[in-house]
Formats: sequence, C-alpha cells, structure tokens
Amino acid sequence: MIKLLKAMGLINMNSKDFKLITGLLILAFIMIILIYIFKDNGAKAANVYYKNQLVLTIDMTLKTTKEYTVSGTNGDVVILYDNGKIKVEEENSPRHLCSKQGWISQSYESIICLPNNIVINITGIYAIDTIVK
Amino acid sequence: MGIKKITELSMLLALSVVLNMVENAVPIFNGLMPGVKLGMANTVILFVIYAYGFKEGIYVSILRVVIVGILFSGLFSPMFLFSISGAIISMMFMFVFKKIAKLSIIGVSIMGSIGHSIGQILMAIVILKTISIIYYLPWLILFAIPTGIVIGTLSKQLLKQFGYIKT
Repeated sequence: MIKLLKAMGLINMNSKDFKLITGLLILAFIMIILIYIFKDNGAKAANVYYKNQLVLTIDMTLKTTKEYTVSGTNGDVVILYDNGKIKVEEENSPRHLCSKQGWISQSYESIICLPNNIVINITGIYAIDTIVK
Repeated sequence: MGIKKITELSMLLALSVVLNMVENAVPIFNGLMPGVKLGMANTVILFVIYAYGFKEGIYVSILRVVIVGILFSGLFSPMFLFSISGAIISMMFMFVFKKIAKLSIIGVSIMGSIGHSIGQILMAIVILKTISIIYYLPWLILFAIPTGIVIGTLSKQLLKQFGYIKT
C-alpha cells in the first residue's frame, strides 16, 4: 500500500519520517497504557465548575437517572446523570462540542464547554472540594 | 521586504483565514473528539515556511490567529488564547524539527500539528485550572499522524507546482 502510494508520488517520506511516526505511535500507546493503568476505577463524584467555581457535585455511585441544570455564560446547561455516567444534554454554543462529546464515566475524563465556561471533572474521591471548603 | 513579497504573503494570509473559515463551516471530524480537525490552514503556513522562510511563516501564522480572533471569537477570548498558544508552540516545533532534526515536509507537518495540540492543552491547563485535559494528548498525537501526512503531502505538491522544490 505504502509502496503503491510512493510509486504514485502521493507519499514522499524519508526514513527519518518513518522513524518519527513509529516513535510517535509508541509514545502515544505508552501514554494511553499509562493512563489506563493509573486511572482509579472508582469514579465517585462529578464536580461541575462555572468560571473555576464549584457549582455542583454529583454523586456518581447512585443508580438513578437525574437531570441537573446549571447556568453557563450562554444560558442553562442541562447535565444528565444516568447510573454512573454523565453527559451534557443541552447547551447553547456555536458548535455544541460538549453535548456532542457524549457520555463520560471514568475518573480521568472531563467535559469542557468553553463557550459556557463550564467544566465537568470526574474525581475518584467524593466531594473532596466541599471537604476542603 | 519588497512590495511583491508583501503582496504574495498577504494573499497567502487571506487564503489561510479562508481555509480556517471553510474548516469551521465543514467540521469533518466533529463529534469524533473535541478539538480534532484537519488543520487546512497549516498548508499555507508550511508553504510559506518552505517558499519564503521561518520569519515569514511566523508573521503569517500569528496574523492569521489575530485576524480569525477579530473576525469570529473576539480578541483575547479563550478560543483566541488557545489558538495563539497553539500557533506559537507549533512554529517552535516546526523550526526545531526542520532545522535541527532535518525531517522532510511530512515530518515537519506532523510535528506542527502536534505542536498545535500541545500549545492548546497547555493553555487549557492554565485557563481552566484542570490537569485532566492532558489525557487527550495521546489521542491527539494519534490523530496528528494521518492529518499531518495529508497536509504535508498537500503542501509538498503545492510547492512542486509553484517550482519551489524539485523532487
């Protein structure tokens, strides 16, 4: 395949490029593996921040479905919690990136709604921010 | 800088702004992952770097971010800060990997794309005060390889058509 593309003149890589690509692939896979090793499986709570201020903490150990509404810069942001996973259901932004992102459930995942200044982080420790407060 | 060069660079700058607009209007990878895009404007930046030089590349790259910022997201909005930090780190990466590592245009394109990702992630960590965005980095590196190859090949063909490189 690569030989064919090369023959057509569509792909022109030297050996350094191949080394670079191989190196990057290895690096990316090592990072992904490290993330999966060091994630703590127990997603306990989701912290919702508006302009870096904690506005809502959702208990993620509950086996229920619940809708939460927080106000963002462009109006209300509707967050849906369903049995250990969380997503942004509705928000007002130019490209709707954060509602298109879909469900998150792992403790290293986050949803960031930049136009609305809303950040949702999942933590392994329940309500650590309220304890600190 | 002569008038001819200024005119050429301004036209290339306008082209990079238009490519940016086209890309925002046609989000190919939208929904796959936040922030992943082809980076068509980088074709112009690569073209300028190879046809004129790094100094000119930096002018076009920074001015493109400023113009797009003024036209769409607003100057000094979070989007603008992300773009400017991405553009600066990207130029630094491309400089290092072109001049020192002496990669071909495809390798330089891939590193430019990764530079954009790293710059935006660093700015996001600063602005949003959360480290968890760094988990996107390996995925962005994986995406940078195919998109970098496409953009690099495209730039190479363009440079060939305009007679700036021979092979």
